This record gives sequence, structure tokens and C-alpha cells, in this order.
Amino acid sequence: MKPPVLRCRHVKKRYGTFTALEDLSLEVYEGEIFALLGPNGAGKSTLIHCITGLAKQSEGSIEVLGFDTVHDFRTTRRLVGLVPQEINYDPFFTPLESLMIQMGLMGVEPSRERAETLLKTFALDEKRDAYTRTLSGGMKRRLLVAKSLVHEPRLLFLDEPTAGVDVELRRELWQEVEELRAAGTTIVLTTHYIEEAEQLADRIGILHKGELLLVESRESLLERHGGRSLEDIYLELIRKADGRHAA
Amino acid sequence: MSTIALKTLFLKEVRRFSKVWLQTVLSPLVTTSLYFLVFGVALGSRLREISGVPYIQFVVPGLVMMTMVRDSFLNTSSSLFQSKINGTITDILVAPIGALEMLLAYVGAAMLRAFLVGTLVYLVALWFTWFPLHHAGWSLFFAVFVTATLALLGMVAALWAEKFDHLAIFPNFVLLPLAFLGGVFYSIDLLPEPWYTVSLFNPLLYMVNGLRYGFLGVADVSPVASAGVVLASFLVLVGVASALLRSGYNLRS
Repeated sequence: MKPPVLRCRHVKKRYGTFTALEDLSLEVYEGEIFALLGPNGAGKSTLIHCITGLAKQSEGSIEVLGFDTVHDFRTTRRLVGLVPQEINYDPFFTPLESLMIQMGLMGVEPSRERAETLLKTFALDEKRDAYTRTLSGGMKRRLLVAKSLVHEPRLLFLDEPTAGVDVELRRELWQEVEELRAAGTTIVLTTHYIEEAEQLADRIGILHKGELLLVESRESLLERHGGRSLEDIYLELIRKADGRHAA
Repeated sequence: MSTIALKTLFLKEVRRFSKVWLQTVLSPLVTTSLYFLVFGVALGSRLREISGVPYIQFVVPGLVMMTMVRDSFLNTSSSLFQSKINGTITDILVAPIGALEMLLAYVGAAMLRAFLVGTLVYLVALWFTWFPLHHAGWSLFFAVFVTATLALLGMVAALWAEKFDHLAIFPNFVLLPLAFLGGVFYSIDLLPEPWYTVSLFNPLLYMVNGLRYGFLGVADVSPVASAGVVLASFLVLVGVASALLRSGYNLRS
């Protein structure tokens, strides 16, 4: 097995008395697409936030390619890209400017050529000089993906990238994800769309109330459950976990 | 420290205020010039000298300082707070940028805006009443450290604020009253007790009078005392802003 790109060890995250992540350990390997499934409030975004620097874990350690995300944060953040769940954009800048700025922020010398390539890849080249606020929702989401790639990250987090996205754009994004994986990028995807995980993921993790209920390859998971759909398997696991919590 | 990230963040902040120059440069210039016309030119012609200088000249350093105080505060506070509200702060938080780069970039850009507007106000004032700069070194010292201090205060305010009303407290209910009561338009020597003594607890008094000494060579308090207060304020705010940024206060959950 390839070495882990991401290693989380006994990660806990508490907000006051609320526990968002409970003793979570997880490894993600080079070149794979790992789908993290779970209902709202399961802790998927919290985990991504702890890895990418938007939050700090209360306990435990997280390593990206062997570098600690707290002590070696400058190294790990250069290795990681994030497409956040919420669409955000700076109203002052155009897509071209936004990409150039993001390159510089990530510590890469801003390159117009690289920015224009990304704009073309994500079909934003015609809007390169438009104010970002005038872009459609789909374009803004594509810009977010382009921004996350300016520094060519080894590990890319897509936090519900297809939430509220129409079918056409969803398919386009899936294709982009496949192409990124083919280019060697390791991808961690959170989603509510089970079919998305079923189609894209090599391995699947199911998170519920801060606990990782299962981590398994998609193939073995489906095989083990005798041809049942991933959605059925997911719902059964969640119901069982809810039953345990209620008891 | 990432010099590329520092340069990028600094230039981003400069471009941000340059893109809305009507609001960030011209508006404060017009407002302060109106103050100057009303208090300096119109009323000033009726008033005699204060501290041995014509009133129209007496108000110039105060108005320049008031503008620089407001603009350096507003640049950091509005930019950082807006990026918190619209979520673009994520772009910085996921980047390999430490507290030092954030501090230098935000404060540097705010100082540049404050210097730009302050210089323009000064040039407008010189057009009405030319006077030689008494001490360039003191003028520069107070301009640099006061704008840096207020830019830091703006960062602290933006980090603390959770809604626009929180942010508005500082310019409207703290800085403006302190500036008006800090001797922008008068010498505190004219005040009876206890107001004279009360005024000595106003840090804006030292900022205004520090620049007044640099510009005109007169002040209600010595430039050394003013420098001491300004430096102490600067160091305290460097400490507070650095600690807040390092801890991720209201930025990282």
C-alpha cells in the first residue's frame, strides 16, 4: 500500500461541552479518492477544517505527508488545497486577479500564464476580467475549485462541492475530480450525494456524531453487503449508530 | 516568513482601497478640507493666535492627524471584518501565512492609505496657509507610529467584532470624541480644571500634539511625553494583535 498522505491520530475536537470529533483516527493514501459521508453535523467539515487550518483540534495529531499541521503548518498548507462548502468571493477582484492573488498567498510567485490556464480549464476565460460578483453560482463554484488548485496541492479537500449545483455542473466537477486524481492528486470529498461517492470514491468513510463508523474500500463494502446499494448500507449504519446512542 | 505571501497580501490590500478611491481617499480629503475651511479659514479669521501661531495654522496638524487616525483604523478594520463576513478570510487562513505576515501586510497597507490621505490634506492646508515644517523627524515619527497603532487597533476591533454595529463603536464613539477632545481645534491650556487634567488621560491628545510639535514647534505636552505615550500604545497593540492572530481568536474555530 502506498504511504499515507494524510494521517489523523486520535483527533478530538470540542466546542465547549459539545464534542464535534471523538477520538478520530484515519489514513488517506496517495492517489486515492476518499469520500467522507455523514449526515449534517456529523463532523465532516470540522475534520477538514482541522486539517486545513481553519480550526484547531483539541487533542490528537494530524500529519500531511509526515508534516504536523500545527508545528509545520507552513509546509502542510502548501501541500493542501481546499474547496470550501460555502461559496465566497471577494467583490473587489476579477477571477484573473483572484487566482493571481491566491497564488501569492499560497507562497507561489503569481503567474498570469498559470492563472489563464486555470481559467480556461474551468471555462471561466470569458469572464476573466468581470467582477466576481457578476458570475453565476456555478461559475463562482468553479472559481473556488480553480483557486484551490493554484499551488498544485498534493491533497485536495472538496467540502460538499456539488451542494446546490445543477446536474450538468455536477458532472463537470466529477470529471475534473477524475482528471485531478489521474494527475496524481489525492482527493478527500465530503458529500450528501451517496451516488457521488459510489461513482467516484476508492474508499469510503462514514462519520456520525463525530465518530468514524466505518472506513472501507468501496468495492469491498459493496461486496460484503451482497450487492445492496451504498445508500442502503449507509442508512443502516446510521440507524444502528443512532440506536446505540439512544440506548 | 513567506515574503511572496506578505507582498501579495500587502498589494491586495492596497488594490482594495485603490479600487474604491472615491470612498477611501477622496471622501476623507473632502471631509477634512471642509473642517479646515470652516474652523481654520472662516472661524480662524476671527480668532487670534493660539500658542503663538495663527489659528488657521494651529488646526492643520490636528486635522491631518485626525484624518490619519481615522483612515488607518478604517482600512484594517473594514477590510478584515468584511473578509470575515463574506468568508474570503478562508483564502488567508488556509495559506501558509503566519501572524507576522498578516500583521505587516494589513498594517502596512493601512499606513500607506493614511499617509496618502494625510499628505493630501496637508497639501490642501498649505495652499491656504503656507508654513515651513518645524521638525520633519518628529513629524515622520508621529505619523509612522500613530498610523501603525491605529491600524493595529483596527485589526483588534475587526477580530473582536461580530456585527457591523460592533465595528462602528470605535470610529463613532471612541476615536471621533477623543480626537475632538484631544486638542485638534484648541489648546488644552484654555481648559479649566478638572478638564485640563482629564484631557491628559486622552491618548489622542499626545498624538495630535506630537504632530503639532513636528509641524509647528508648539504643543501642549512635550514631544518626548507624546512619543512615550504613542510608543507605549503601539507596543501594547502589537502585543494584543499578535496574540489574537496567533491564537486564531474569532478566526479559527
